[in-house]
Amino acid sequence: MANATKQETKKGISLNLRNTLVGLSFILPNFIGFAVFTLVPVIFSFILSLMKWDGFTPMEFVAFDNFVKIFGEKKFIESLGHTVYFAFFTVLLSMAAALALALLLNQKLKFVNFFRSAIFFPYVASIVAVSCVWKAMFMEDGGVINSALQMLGVAEDMLPGWTASVAWAMPAVIIVSVWRNMGYFMIIYLAALQDIPNSLYEAAEMDGASKWQQFVRITFPMLTPSHFFVFMMLTINSFKTFDLIFLMTEGGPGTATQLLSMYVYNKAFISWDYGVTSAASMVLFLIVATITVLQFRVEKKFNDFM
Amino acid sequence: MKIKRIAALGMSGLMAASVLTACGGSTSSSSATTSSGSTGSESTASESTASESTASGEQVSLKVSLWDATSNPADLAAIEAFEAANPDIKVDLIDIPSTDYNTKLNTMLNGGSQLDVYFIKQADMTKSFYDKGQLLDLTPYIEESGVDMAAYNGTADGFAFDGKQYGLPVRTDFYVLYYNKDLFDAKGLEYPSNDMTWTEFEELAGKLSGDGNYGALMHTWQAMAWNWAIQDGQHSIMDYETGYDFAKTSYDMLVRMQENGYIQDYGQLKSGNIHYSGAFAQGNVAMMPMGTWFIGTMKAKVDSGEADFNWGVATIPHPEGVETGYTVGASTPLGINPATKVADAAWRFVEFMTGAEGAAVYAKEGYIPARADETILETVASNEGMPEGLAEALQTKNITPDRPIVDKVGDVDQILAEQHSMIMLGECTVDEGLAEITNQVKDLLA
Repeated sequence: MANATKQETKKGISLNLRNTLVGLSFILPNFIGFAVFTLVPVIFSFILSLMKWDGFTPMEFVAFDNFVKIFGEKKFIESLGHTVYFAFFTVLLSMAAALALALLLNQKLKFVNFFRSAIFFPYVASIVAVSCVWKAMFMEDGGVINSALQMLGVAEDMLPGWTASVAWAMPAVIIVSVWRNMGYFMIIYLAALQDIPNSLYEAAEMDGASKWQQFVRITFPMLTPSHFFVFMMLTINSFKTFDLIFLMTEGGPGTATQLLSMYVYNKAFISWDYGVTSAASMVLFLIVATITVLQFRVEKKFNDFM
Repeated sequence: MKIKRIAALGMSGLMAASVLTACGGSTSSSSATTSSGSTGSESTASESTASESTASGEQVSLKVSLWDATSNPADLAAIEAFEAANPDIKVDLIDIPSTDYNTKLNTMLNGGSQLDVYFIKQADMTKSFYDKGQLLDLTPYIEESGVDMAAYNGTADGFAFDGKQYGLPVRTDFYVLYYNKDLFDAKGLEYPSNDMTWTEFEELAGKLSGDGNYGALMHTWQAMAWNWAIQDGQHSIMDYETGYDFAKTSYDMLVRMQENGYIQDYGQLKSGNIHYSGAFAQGNVAMMPMGTWFIGTMKAKVDSGEADFNWGVATIPHPEGVETGYTVGASTPLGINPATKVADAAWRFVEFMTGAEGAAVYAKEGYIPARADETILETVASNEGMPEGLAEALQTKNITPDRPIVDKVGDVDQILAEQHSMIMLGECTVDEGLAEITNQVKDLLA
């Protein structure tokens, strides 16, 4: 290092400085975009969360009033609960579905590429079109899903109301969300599966391990880094979900599927209360940040252990 | 090491600078607009008048924002007529999709974009624009031009705050009853009269239901219960002190009609994304309470062959003990941005659009202008393809605004929408729903 700094280039700039500048110039385009469109708004949002502002009249500093206000509001607490409910099941089921599909499509099958593309398709399909179709499929009378359930022998008065009922609206959006997520995360699992050395399985087979034992003792643990990545991405995505809910239920019936992101939207564009909006966003941000940090900590331990 | 530190310092400096510029930008724009707000509006107006008169002969460009202009021939026709009558002004339209309009308009006004005149999509938002100082006081202009305020039939009153006028209504839409003549003929029933109570409406719907037909279509809006609750003009959706007992009758009717199969199921309409215009055009719905804006749409559907039946329009049914001609509606006001540099041209635009000339153009296109007198209604009804007796059906005695122009009406609306779905899906009873609304609105307003 010390040696490097002393080495002068022809133009008289130290190598170290040159390296730094080159490095900076590489990240600069991305950083400018990040700063302008993400960092500044985030900082601005943080400042706003301490203000009372309707977007036009001068801001008024109110310290933590906005936070006190939202935690005293039934709708906010409710949305928080809904978000946790939604995220918990979406993450769990998406991970299970993605892993199962990856295991299935990691075998030598005919048309394997077709199946992989077909399952990946929901992830790239337009959410607007997709939610219209799902909404029609979820129709209480005559919808495809309930018709199928009826054929399977579910009594007519036991059929779920899906998006038209308070109890079933959330499961309905979770199903669509899982369906949409699973393809992308399947690809991640697939890539990781192919990285597991075959010698491990060969050795296991020699020792007489069953397929299930191989999965539990080899496949699952070997996928640990992917589990962490998938879990983290899914958690962050679930907490931020907005489009799907907005298009499928608009948060209804009543407030049955109102997530935090929907609450934030309503506060911003119906109540024009940017202070409260930002405070709620900050809570959302803190939750996601905490999960991410915890995640990294645990992951580090695990990776050290491995 | 040192260099890295300097680089880091530079980066953080850059970040800080960008933060500062962002904040600086917004404060300077807000201070600029406050100075040209309601207090300083008169001086701004006189200044711009002066600057304009010096620049006479040159064409003034006027930035006007509205929504879905391309699918709304009436607005474009009126603007064309304005340009023809005022060759020195060129209207520069900012056409915004209707679903994004409010958000986009707010961004433009808050962000200080150049915008001179704007249509307000929801009349109740006028108050918030006024509160934010985003509307120019029109009173001096109205006095100078001698605008006859009585011609607006009271529809302009909601846009006056503290005795000053901040907006003028262009169009006024109100609720009427559309009906399918063929379905009435098939049952040998008389067409709905222009003087009918809601009870009679319900009975009639019952007679017309069955065999795959529905007596009526009640769209999924909460307006389908709340409008009839406030129709008498005695209450508004903000009156939580009453426990909203005034909405019970109309809700009971709506729920009863749904249970009896007189109307399509709310859940079906909602999950099927069924739009009322398509549902009515299908031809299996006998009656539909809907706004006058639907007249033009319906005419187009008949012209295109999508709707293949004879249709009619009657006055909206009224509650027991309320005169016929009492209806619910909303006006579309036009306002001037106080930040405009061409206030004089902006006023001439507003005066034309909201005045007799603009009214005539709108009526010709089949829309109901805010200045609607006998002749105007005749013009509307005499358009090609309009059903018989339209002029009589359009007679009104009183138009209660569907949403009062006060603070927080958007939040109350949101609460109503949420609980409306709960009641209509049978997740709670009418009484429970109204009690919940009362609690939530009380928390919001009290």
